Amino acid sequence: MKIDKKILNEIQDIVGKENATDNEVILESYTYNWCVEFINVMEGKDPIPFWHKPIAVVLPSTTEEVQKFVKLCNKYHLKFKAQSTGLGPWNQPSEDDVIVVDLRRMNKIVKIDPKNMYCVVEPYVTGAQLQAELLKYGLNCHMPGAGPQVSPLASSTSMCGPGFTSSSTGFSGRNVLGTEWVLPTGEILRLGSLSLKENSDWFHGDGPGPSLRGIMRGFIGTKSGLGIFTRVAIKLFPFPCNIKQLEIKNIIPNYDFDIPNYMQFHLISCKNYETLELAFDRIEKEGITFMCFHTSTYGLHTIFSNTQEELMNRAVASPRIKNPLVVLITANTKREFEYKEKVLKTAIEELKVKDVVATGKYIPPNIAYAEALRSALGMHGFLATGAFQSTHGSMDTSRLCRVLMERNLPLKKEYIDKGLIGNDEGKGNWSTSYEHGHFYHIETPTMYDQTKVESVEGFVEYLDRCNKLDLVEHLGIPFFIEGDKMHDWYGPQCSNYHIWLRKIKTKFDPNFVADSGFYISPEKEENKTT
Amino acid sequence: MPFEDYEDTIKKCLRCSLCKWIPQIQIKSQKYASICPSIDYYNYHTYSGGGKIILALSIYLNRLEPSEDLADIVYKCSTCGGCAISCKYLNKLEPLEIIYELRELLVEKGIGPMPKQKLYAEYAMEKHNPYNEPPEQRMDWVSEDIKISKNAKIAYFVGCTSSYRRKEIAKATAKILNKAGVEFQLLGSDEWCCGSPLLRTGMKKEALELMNHNLDLIESLGIEEVVFSCAGCYSTFKAHYPRYRKYNFKVTHTSELFNRLIDEGKLKLKENLKIKVTYHDPCHLGRDSEPYPEWNGKMVEVMPLISIPVPPKPLRRGTNGTYEPPRNVLKKIPGIDFVEMERIKEYSYCCGAGGGVKAQYPDFALFAAKNRIDEAESTGAESLISACPFCATNLKDAIDDSGSKLKFYDLSELLLKSLEDKEE
Ligand SMILES: Cc1cc2nc3c(=O)[nH]c(=O)nc-3n(C[C@H](O)[C@H](O)[C@H](O)COP(=O)(O)OP(=O)(O)OC[C@H]3O[C@@H](n4cnc5c(N)ncnc54)[C@H](O)[C@@H]3O)c2cc1C
Repeated sequence: MKIDKKILNEIQDIVGKENATDNEVILESYTYNWCVEFINVMEGKDPIPFWHKPIAVVLPSTTEEVQKFVKLCNKYHLKFKAQSTGLGPWNQPSEDDVIVVDLRRMNKIVKIDPKNMYCVVEPYVTGAQLQAELLKYGLNCHMPGAGPQVSPLASSTSMCGPGFTSSSTGFSGRNVLGTEWVLPTGEILRLGSLSLKENSDWFHGDGPGPSLRGIMRGFIGTKSGLGIFTRVAIKLFPFPCNIKQLEIKNIIPNYDFDIPNYMQFHLISCKNYETLELAFDRIEKEGITFMCFHTSTYGLHTIFSNTQEELMNRAVASPRIKNPLVVLITANTKREFEYKEKVLKTAIEELKVKDVVATGKYIPPNIAYAEALRSALGMHGFLATGAFQSTHGSMDTSRLCRVLMERNLPLKKEYIDKGLIGNDEGKGNWSTSYEHGHFYHIETPTMYDQTKVESVEGFVEYLDRCNKLDLVEHLGIPFFIEGDKMHDWYGPQCSNYHIWLRKIKTKFDPNFVADSGFYISPEKEENKTT
Repeated sequence: MPFEDYEDTIKKCLRCSLCKWIPQIQIKSQKYASICPSIDYYNYHTYSGGGKIILALSIYLNRLEPSEDLADIVYKCSTCGGCAISCKYLNKLEPLEIIYELRELLVEKGIGPMPKQKLYAEYAMEKHNPYNEPPEQRMDWVSEDIKISKNAKIAYFVGCTSSYRRKEIAKATAKILNKAGVEFQLLGSDEWCCGSPLLRTGMKKEALELMNHNLDLIESLGIEEVVFSCAGCYSTFKAHYPRYRKYNFKVTHTSELFNRLIDEGKLKLKENLKIKVTYHDPCHLGRDSEPYPEWNGKMVEVMPLISIPVPPKPLRRGTNGTYEPPRNVLKKIPGIDFVEMERIKEYSYCCGAGGGVKAQYPDFALFAAKNRIDEAESTGAESLISACPFCATNLKDAIDDSGSKLKFYDLSELLLKSLEDKEE
């Protein structure tokens, strides 16, 4: 379908002529995304990275414009899909005839409140932009693992949001304060202290009354299925070390960085998953880490490499590190640093594990320190095959992380042996502590080749078996628990939550204008209850 | 088959948007984080480097036909190559090459280039300059006080813009060479457009005709070194010509030569300036002057699903651009207080003039230049220095248009001032 020109004109009246289009070429570029090829396979289609073509793309610049646009969608029964920086399949219209709302023009840092340690941002402020401005105040923000080029607002409001610094900064959902939310009806809902009648401000995120945050984002966000978030306040943290600026030396690709005085990577080799679990708990109990995560040996080489060749060299030349636990210690003073290092050393001795950095066997490159400070380690994940995606995905105990890794190993190996997914020896997991061991995250990133049909299909089959494993072995919830198909499968196994979720969707979006391909569709008319 | 050389990589765009920004670890402020003037001005993802890769893949998969709408998008790009630098920090995609391929395809289909660019190209072929100026007036800038040495082993390739539009750069360059005692000859009306504007708008066939003329001429004169004050001509000779035809003379940008002459004591700099300056890296002198690396290896599967190039395939990442010579010259001029902008060297922000943009989309060109002027002003500098006549034109336009108090000088003009007796 093409958009009715009259409606397009009305949209253009709201956002300006050049900011809404049905130009076919522009629309085509909005049909593509990372991982769409395997979504297509799941739907029995060819593994190409193009999905449903939107009928228009709109670029609003203010909350008022978003609101007017959403009201227009209600008037004409048109669906919309919002995107911030737009990385990943969950940004794509999940059906034909949807309008993409690209929030690129909403790019203001509305406020930085250094005293109360929060900031307010619009959707298209990227993590790196925000971090650069926060550094001027000696502050820092949490960033999802995807990296600093994505939107802190999107991650906070609409995605899950673990990241490499989760041990000290939690996950995106934990850092959300006041939120401005354009509901699918076009009403504006302000959450937390922002809704106060007098002196409203952003400092508090929820209540009084039943928690709306659970509805707004819950565990993994509604992926634009419940409206559009236009501004959000995010909790901040002190910058972990005493520098004024990330000063990078040399020319690409030989970037170098003077490691700040009180900053040190430790790579702890754990002989088995049991030791890893113990090490996680023991070290995190101390509350000393800036980063504390597990990745496979292969994953480790990947985050410390910038080219495939470098990765291969590391893989060949580096010592074998068993089940690595990556710890990054940072401090603002010598005393603080010495204290943290001493505590870590004691824990390492008690655990009888080895730190291969302390023994001089593995030296992380200097630039990895800068990338760690900017939370820019995640994109290295694409180095090997060009594509990866995770399966499984839990927020639970370190014990569950261990069990999941153990149970998943033979399954993953089966697909590696068939040559369908990348060979990480079945150990390609990524696990991090949240808030110093308060709870833990695990997912199992899997490399595949998006240009090879067998590999994409193999990955899809493996993903499906991982999901079933989650259910049968009680390993937490599947990674892609989104969309009708997944909810309708998982809901009946899990308190029939999907029925409640549908009720919420129905109430909040009576005209079903918010594309819900990655959330849930409303109740069918005949099933509607009050 | 278009995009054949890039078949493997065009299927691997992650749509991660890294191509829109300077390398993430280099970002120092929200305001100067972007690297792509095109996405900054036009906003739709389509205009980014990644957006163009998607379009290329669509064409490759027969989902999209070359069209006027496509051309209008593909030509709204200054081909500055910033996207490619940021992408290749971790990935191996070649958004700039894809943009060139898209343009060539559009030309092949009779859709590209855009009307003004077409006109410029016709002039370049007829009059040997894109400005439709008489070839015999190419040397009009040469004043009596400039000494030309007819049979010198060094030739100064003036370029069309300095010959006809920015004569002050040509004059300053020639005077500096005279002062340093460097003997040089000019090619006069036999100097033809280097082909840069054609090459960058997809008219490769015509550009190669111009190239062949210039190379034949220079080689026939037994010239050993060609000096350029134009960054565009320089990168075209240095990086692009050798892809199609090898030659055996040396190519030097004036910033390199000036730096050398200062070091050799051939230029006596006076303490007559007292200004704070900042420097704009022209894309063509910086990242685009890096030669295309040669590679004749093959992809070898080292593990299932992982193939690597053997021997390692060097990527053109802007590493070997010309960054230090102009900076060194500035640092050596007494009385100059040199400060850097945030976006520099391989991740410098484009002035917005290149790739046929100034001709076809002047509003866009001006927008980009104003962005750069704003950044230059933020350093507290009084003067903005660069080393490309095309950047000079666009940046000066932006200074005028925005009412900025910044002064613009080409490196040669500033250097000449410090060689003269007048105080500033
Ligand atoms: C290498 C890599 C590692 C990753 N690691 C992690 C990780 O550790 N943790 C994690 O959580 N994710 C991870 N991801 C996924 C990633 O978080 C998301 O892709 C990222 O947060 C998307 O940010 P974005 O700015 O692109 O948001 P978008 O992709 O633009 O948006 C994300 C979702 O939110 C919706 N949305 C966006 N903005 C709004 C809005 N204003 N209102 C309503 N809905 C909106 C979109 O429709 C979409 O469904 C990873 C991805 C990669 C590539």
